[in-house]
Amino acid sequence: MQTFLQVLINGTGKGAIFALLALGFVIIFKATEVVNFAHGSLALAGGYVVAVLKPMVGWWSAAAAGITAAAVLALVIERLLLARARNASDTSLAILTIGVDVLVLTEVVRRLGTEASPFLGDPYDVKPLTLGDVTVGRSEVVALAVSVVLITAFFAAFRFSPWGVAMRAQSENREAAALMGIRSSRVTASAWAVGGALAGIAVLFLATQDFSGGGLSQATHGVALAAFPAAIIGGLTSPGGAVLGGFVVGLTEAMTAQYVDLDFAKVAVYLVMLLVLVVRPSGLFGRVVQARV
Amino acid sequence: MQTAQRALLTAAVAATLVLTGCSSKAVNNSSGGGSAVKTDVGVTDQTITLGVLTDASGVFKNLGLGITHGNEIWADEVNRAGGICGRKIALVQKDHGYAADKAIPLYGQVKDNVLGLAQLLGSPILAALKKQITDDKMVSVPASWASTNLDTPSVLMVGATYDVEMLNGFSFMQEQGFVHDGDRVGHIYVDSEYGKNGLAGSKAYGAAHNLTVVEAKVTATDTDMTAAITSLKSQGVKAIALTTTPKQTASALTQAKAQGIDVPFIGNNPTFDPVLLSTPAKDSFDKFYFVNGVVPFSADLPAAKDLAAKYAAKYTDTPNVGVDFGYASGLVWQSVLTTACNDKDLTRQGVLNAVAKTKVDTKELAGELDFSKPGQPSSRKSYIAQADATVPGGMKYVKQLFESPEAASYRTPFQH
Amino acid sequence: MSDSNRAAGDMVPGDGRWWRIGRVAGAALLIVVLLALPLYLPGEWLKVGTWMMTGAVGALGLTLLTGQAGQLSLAHGFFLLVGAVSYAVLSGPAGDPTYIGFGLPPVVGLLGAVLISGLAGAAFAPVSGRLRGIYLGVASLALVFLGFWLGRALPAVAGSTSSGRLPQPFSIFGLSVDVSRQLSSLSVFGVPLGRDERTWYLYLLLTAIAYLLAQGAVSGRPGRAWRAVRDNETAATVLGVSVVRVKAGVFAISSAYAGLAGVMTAWWTGIMKPDESEVAGSYGVTVSIAFLAMIVVGGLGSLPGAVLGAALVFGLPVALPLLTQSASADIGSGTAFSPIVITNFAYGALIVLIILFEPSGMAGLGRRLLGPARART
Repeated sequence: MQTFLQVLINGTGKGAIFALLALGFVIIFKATEVVNFAHGSLALAGGYVVAVLKPMVGWWSAAAAGITAAAVLALVIERLLLARARNASDTSLAILTIGVDVLVLTEVVRRLGTEASPFLGDPYDVKPLTLGDVTVGRSEVVALAVSVVLITAFFAAFRFSPWGVAMRAQSENREAAALMGIRSSRVTASAWAVGGALAGIAVLFLATQDFSGGGLSQATHGVALAAFPAAIIGGLTSPGGAVLGGFVVGLTEAMTAQYVDLDFAKVAVYLVMLLVLVVRPSGLFGRVVQARV
Repeated sequence: MQTAQRALLTAAVAATLVLTGCSSKAVNNSSGGGSAVKTDVGVTDQTITLGVLTDASGVFKNLGLGITHGNEIWADEVNRAGGICGRKIALVQKDHGYAADKAIPLYGQVKDNVLGLAQLLGSPILAALKKQITDDKMVSVPASWASTNLDTPSVLMVGATYDVEMLNGFSFMQEQGFVHDGDRVGHIYVDSEYGKNGLAGSKAYGAAHNLTVVEAKVTATDTDMTAAITSLKSQGVKAIALTTTPKQTASALTQAKAQGIDVPFIGNNPTFDPVLLSTPAKDSFDKFYFVNGVVPFSADLPAAKDLAAKYAAKYTDTPNVGVDFGYASGLVWQSVLTTACNDKDLTRQGVLNAVAKTKVDTKELAGELDFSKPGQPSSRKSYIAQADATVPGGMKYVKQLFESPEAASYRTPFQH
Repeated sequence: MSDSNRAAGDMVPGDGRWWRIGRVAGAALLIVVLLALPLYLPGEWLKVGTWMMTGAVGALGLTLLTGQAGQLSLAHGFFLLVGAVSYAVLSGPAGDPTYIGFGLPPVVGLLGAVLISGLAGAAFAPVSGRLRGIYLGVASLALVFLGFWLGRALPAVAGSTSSGRLPQPFSIFGLSVDVSRQLSSLSVFGVPLGRDERTWYLYLLLTAIAYLLAQGAVSGRPGRAWRAVRDNETAATVLGVSVVRVKAGVFAISSAYAGLAGVMTAWWTGIMKPDESEVAGSYGVTVSIAFLAMIVVGGLGSLPGAVLGAALVFGLPVALPLLTQSASADIGSGTAFSPIVITNFAYGALIVLIILFEPSGMAGLGRRLLGPARART
């Protein structure tokens, strides 16, 4: 029972981070229909800024700067590259983000050099919490709290703010939204910035001893790959689905590692995803694409 | 096809035949050298050229740069002392970024210009090139200590292998009273030649002492050991062996501490990197012991301190055990080349012959090494060390170079 | 994407006689150069060339699936693995105590590997038929993870993660590809044909066969059915095309191409060994994405584009390190702009620039350059 609770809490904490990554991924996809392969790089770039500034300005300011940096980088990618390649198909744009990903990843890894990989979770990392007879990483608990707050805030904004209305309108029907006076470029750009900021927040938990066991490095980029199945399980057009997908991925990984086979955990995530897709081809809450004649 | 088109194709084929008549790749057999020493590839009257196939930009760039700098310090020293066999040592360095598809053409580029490889880093790369280096008689020092690679005379392995390390490690643990016959122990290992070779060691020790080894297999890029520790904890292990990357070691130790599993850990040489002591994991190392065949960087031993001083004078990269290993492999090459020179045969075959009779003392770096037994590691001795942030170099020795009876009697996979 | 219909040039109406002769002359020149290259290029450059051809075979298959039939797949790495493992098992020596082998002749092993990969692709049809677009893409990624796990779970089949198993060297008509130059008894104009030279001709032959078969399919009935399904499934059904069968068929064909590329990968690397991580390696996520990049920068659906894309995506990263690492240069420090770093920059930047300035890829660029010549005749 103790082991089960431990696994449950670990899986939920990890799921919270995957949820943040997947949410950013879905927001970008919803606004632009572009699959952002550079999501891991956004996280990595934000994390790098935190690592550089942390010794100079302290953790809190560095974290804020890192989140901003990730958002700005996402904005730059959208404005400078994607917005100018309007004739390209969605698949081509996805490949373009791969090119960006290679550039950012290579540069950050080069800059990190041979120093010890920087850890970014100063206020909460390696300070385990004991709840009854279960011990959990503080990073997981903080991550869970932060993502609950952020996700709630996001849904409130998505539902009630003018930005949320514009965003939903555009994803329903781009032409109609434009006719109603919604500036498409502004919605698109803001979606990228929000997605980038969420990746910048996620990396503050990714690059911790508690969460990934390693500091900021090439491996951090690989962990972000888990956002793919999370977003797909929930349905690419559903922010709520992305959050659920994140928790499904986190729990599936933790439970499989403990009760089936350590090595099988990553495959299990993808098998769960396949299962969901066979039953619901557009994910749990994704919009079903109607065949058009 | 139309007549015109057929004519064009015929012309094309004819043109091919004409063009190829003047190819520069045509073989002209010229035998070189009038000096007394027989030479073939990579050796002139002035220089002996050795290749370095390393990772200076990929996932193992820290290790790769360390070994390369160690190689360079050795080559500089040799050249300042006048070289070997009246010839200077030249290193041809190629960065493959730990990718086999890049390494394979790079090997093709250097293979006709070098006598041997002072460094061959990367297990997927060694696996892909093993047949070629054997065919080419290319003596190579791998940055890997898996005894499963001792099946070719072209592999020049400096120091004890992972399986032997693990045998010595468990022998130490039992001597200290940390494990007893009949215990259940865990082993977290990377699913690669590294991890599997370490596991072979703990299994061999387990068979001799009736230990049950609970396996936890992870992949090389995993860094989070939470699940592995939770799993081993629930199976009630008395000690945990690690054949992992430094990051995995740090994660395993912090997780063990967090989850309240208070058992001793024993790790292979590559499980520890002193830079871990500047990470949040730094307070989790008190029950961690690790086994070394090659001495870690800036250990408190004369030869290592001397090398550390030379390194600090020239390089800015954060140093690691690779520097000592790179330097020690240089010393082994030096001994091999000297033997080959005395035999008046610096050909590839001559070097292979020389390896088979090489015994070299690398002092504290890797102890005495004996390459005369094909299929066997050049040493079965190890140090036991503990991480300690309070001493310079980040570690202290708890047991000097020793060979356990289990390691001495162990049969490596290709032992004759 | 409608202009990808023109990928097979034969279908473009209004081609003049001079244009046709020009095309044949161009093709003839290409054949001459490709046949003569091994007599001039050093071994490592032949290795680069054979690696490009390996990529080209895989990319041809994927451009049929994604470009012609409109089905996104990130599973190419998995089918490469299926092909490579099948070859190693079918042609591996029987009675080996460590590894399962059937001892079949390498030619049979090669054909069997292609067939098995195709069947594996068809077996995925119940899933692939239900899904569209990016959902299909990420769903197919599941196969790559499954392959990564299976490869390591079945060492007797896929080779140990420790040292791998040796794929049987290919030989046909009694000629083995795996002969060192020093020992080769076969020579042309004084150039002995060793391992690298013979592999070049073998790969050239395989690539040419793969290309011609693909061209035949694209310009024939199957190609029309693929494009009908891609452009509008409902309309295709109305026209009497069985969408389910067409989708399953093209997935099988594409996987068979990947299987052949997998066998070529195993020969090229000289080893059959499961990857160390799901991301890097010969059969992982990165390779699957690289194949997608090839066909996009080449121009979706275009066969010459797929070949050019492969030359860029597989060729550049292995060719640049050969060019940029001079014999005397030291490796430098951990933050240096090392040759591999520069290579990665060039690779990333080229992908970005091509899509930014020529969204229909290199095929689109080619059409624009050749367009005027075509129009004049």
